[in-house]
Amino acid sequence: MKTLLRQSLLLIGLALLPAAGQALYYRDKVSWQTPVAASEMVTLPQAQSWSADTIWIDARPQDEFEREHVPGALLLNEDRWNELLPQVLAVWAPEKRVVIYCSSESCGSSREIAHRLRKEAGLTNVFVLEGGWEAWKKEKQ
Amino acid sequence: MIATSNVQRPTSNVERGEAAAPFSIGWRILAIIIGGLFIYAGVIKVLDPVGFAGDIDNYKTLPWPIGVRLAFYLPWLEILCGLALITRVLYRGGVFILTVLMAVFIVATIVAKARGLDISCGCFGHASQYLSFAWHLALDFLLLGGLLFLWRTPLPKDGATA
Repeated sequence: MKTLLRQSLLLIGLALLPAAGQALYYRDKVSWQTPVAASEMVTLPQAQSWSADTIWIDARPQDEFEREHVPGALLLNEDRWNELLPQVLAVWAPEKRVVIYCSSESCGSSREIAHRLRKEAGLTNVFVLEGGWEAWKKEKQ
Repeated sequence: MIATSNVQRPTSNVERGEAAAPFSIGWRILAIIIGGLFIYAGVIKVLDPVGFAGDIDNYKTLPWPIGVRLAFYLPWLEILCGLALITRVLYRGGVFILTVLMAVFIVATIVAKARGLDISCGCFGHASQYLSFAWHLALDFLLLGGLLFLWRTPLPKDGATA
């Protein structure tokens, strides 16, 4: 029992070293206090005010997208990322803003898609819609 | 004068001669497979700590400031414990920590699903996102079962390296 405790504490302590080093390396690249930096979130009224310069991306599953979506929105989700990404890239331009939404505030796919668009596709001006599709529906009712 | 040097104290199976026999090949293979899986899972998350922080946040269980710090820490813990399983250095500690992590993760996954959260564990990078919830859970229970099985691993001795 003593050995088990000693070994466990040793492993827990050892893991702190590389973790601290990596966190130090990422100190300016990560938002430590909020999930997405405030500058990367957008409210619905704000996004609507951008009008024609906005590319709306629906990060929900395909069946939900087909049922209903923001007019003009493009489908881009994790399941069909490789297949759907080209249609986004085809309409994207550096001066355009990209607004991504998923089902609600609690879903994470919009953040995941935003992260991949920035990291893998190198897009800029990528925003996550606060409240997601629920916020849109609520506003339209 | 009583010669006490020949008196044998009762010993457990692990400490007895048969346990000191070569580490059974079956246990070794299982430990290497499970250790390798955790190293793989850890490395993937180390390469994308921000993505993993998002995955933790999806569970809506921990506040972001804690979740993001865990996202930097847990992958390294997984890697070290995986290495412990393979090399048998700090073996018992490695099995113990991974068993606890796995159990906590399974409970968190089930609770999140019951709360209707749209979760993605990201345990094995984007590849695992194509697995259904049932497959995720089956894989998790399989790993937990394997870890519990490793608790029974006969080791030469419960010394510093084993």
